Amino acid sequence: MTVMRDTVVKSLAKITVQGDENGLIPEYEVLVNLLPVKLLNTFSERIMAAAPPDKKAEVEEGLVRAAYECGYHTGCGIITSDIFNDVVLPMVTEGEKDILRGAYAAFTAWGWAKSGIVQLKEGEKMVIRAFDYYEADSGGEGLRGYMLRGLSQAFFDLAYAEPYPDGMDTYICRQSKGIEVGDPYGEFIVTKK
Amino acid sequence: MPVQREESIVAGKGDTGLKGNLSLTHITDLLQFLSSSSKSGMIQLVRHPDGTEGKIFFVAGELVSADSGEKSGLEGLADLLAWEQGTFHFIPGVASAKSTIGLSVQHAIMEAVVLLDRQAKENTANPIREVEERSLQMQQEGRGSAEVLNDLLEISGIDAVVVVGRDGFVIESAGSSARVNIDELGASLAHAINGIEEMGAELNVNMFQDMFIEYGRAVIMCKPVGDAIAAVVTPDASKLGIIRHKTKKLFEELGHSF
Repeated sequence: MTVMRDTVVKSLAKITVQGDENGLIPEYEVLVNLLPVKLLNTFSERIMAAAPPDKKAEVEEGLVRAAYECGYHTGCGIITSDIFNDVVLPMVTEGEKDILRGAYAAFTAWGWAKSGIVQLKEGEKMVIRAFDYYEADSGGEGLRGYMLRGLSQAFFDLAYAEPYPDGMDTYICRQSKGIEVGDPYGEFIVTKK
Repeated sequence: MPVQREESIVAGKGDTGLKGNLSLTHITDLLQFLSSSSKSGMIQLVRHPDGTEGKIFFVAGELVSADSGEKSGLEGLADLLAWEQGTFHFIPGVASAKSTIGLSVQHAIMEAVVLLDRQAKENTANPIREVEERSLQMQQEGRGSAEVLNDLLEISGIDAVVVVGRDGFVIESAGSSARVNIDELGASLAHAINGIEEMGAELNVNMFQDMFIEYGRAVIMCKPVGDAIAAVVTPDASKLGIIRHKTKKLFEELGHSF
């Protein structure tokens, strides 16, 4: 048995999510809030548009960094939560590989991106494919999957680098394809830094 | 139609029969065509460039015998299926003096393909080196998975192709999937393969290599490709032998992408 995406998605979809001062899912031990994707995309679009040409790469890295910081801490909250333990861990038979499968299934279940693992060389490389992610609808130029870049790097750090919180910045993620530039899907490749 | 014995083939020389080139028409296609039209006779084959000769005899859809050089029976047929260059000549009404196979054309092709697979594995003298070399070659010349999927779709009888991760994530799909919820198919395949692999582990046998699911005439054929699973949907089970043969190399190629 390995982690089955449909089982994870169906189980997580049954959880009642109701926001209060502790956020939407207090069990993750990080504040998860509901924000319209339009807001996030507009923020990225404006900050990139405002950046002078020689600073664009730096601003882009900043956007990825924001997603990374969020993904690293939220990701740790997710994979150590009671929900994850109840739903995903009973199906884990292939260690970190299955944890990552479960993490992307959870990511899909919460509506962040319909994404999953295409290739995985343990501790070395991971290729992610995403068919639906909110940044695909953003305006601008070039590949703009900042959130998935940061998050994929964070997930791989959590799985294969030093234990939380010492494993930050061990891996790096680059985007090779994007729906926003006309490709049929977004592709994200994580490798050692 | 008068039936000639093999020894009297010369008498049939005046018969133009059906002739062609193996680079344009594969032997499996030819056999499929002739058996579907209930023809009886002999296919004479010559491989290029070495001139090796082969013969296949069949009667009304049943494959009676096959010879390829010194090889005969299923071994001979397996050898002939691997021919890619050469010519063929179908001569109707010629019967074989011997019966070395005696199976339906479809069944015989399936058995020959299995034999071919087994021989290929046995003949791999240094598998690690070969895999490394092939891997290097693929890195240099490798095609994208979408391109390989499109080639799979061009094989007659294949309706749709889907590649799913072991967790049921649909990585890629192509073809007519209007009848199928592709996410449901991916999840179902992953669950089925998981069950089969658990059974294999319990029985202490090798990893699963093929799975065929029959639904009336339609068949879903699944194979592992790298760390993922590829499945082809065919609405016509009678073409399964040919499909299995023609997809072999493409599945291997697909395995390098996942």
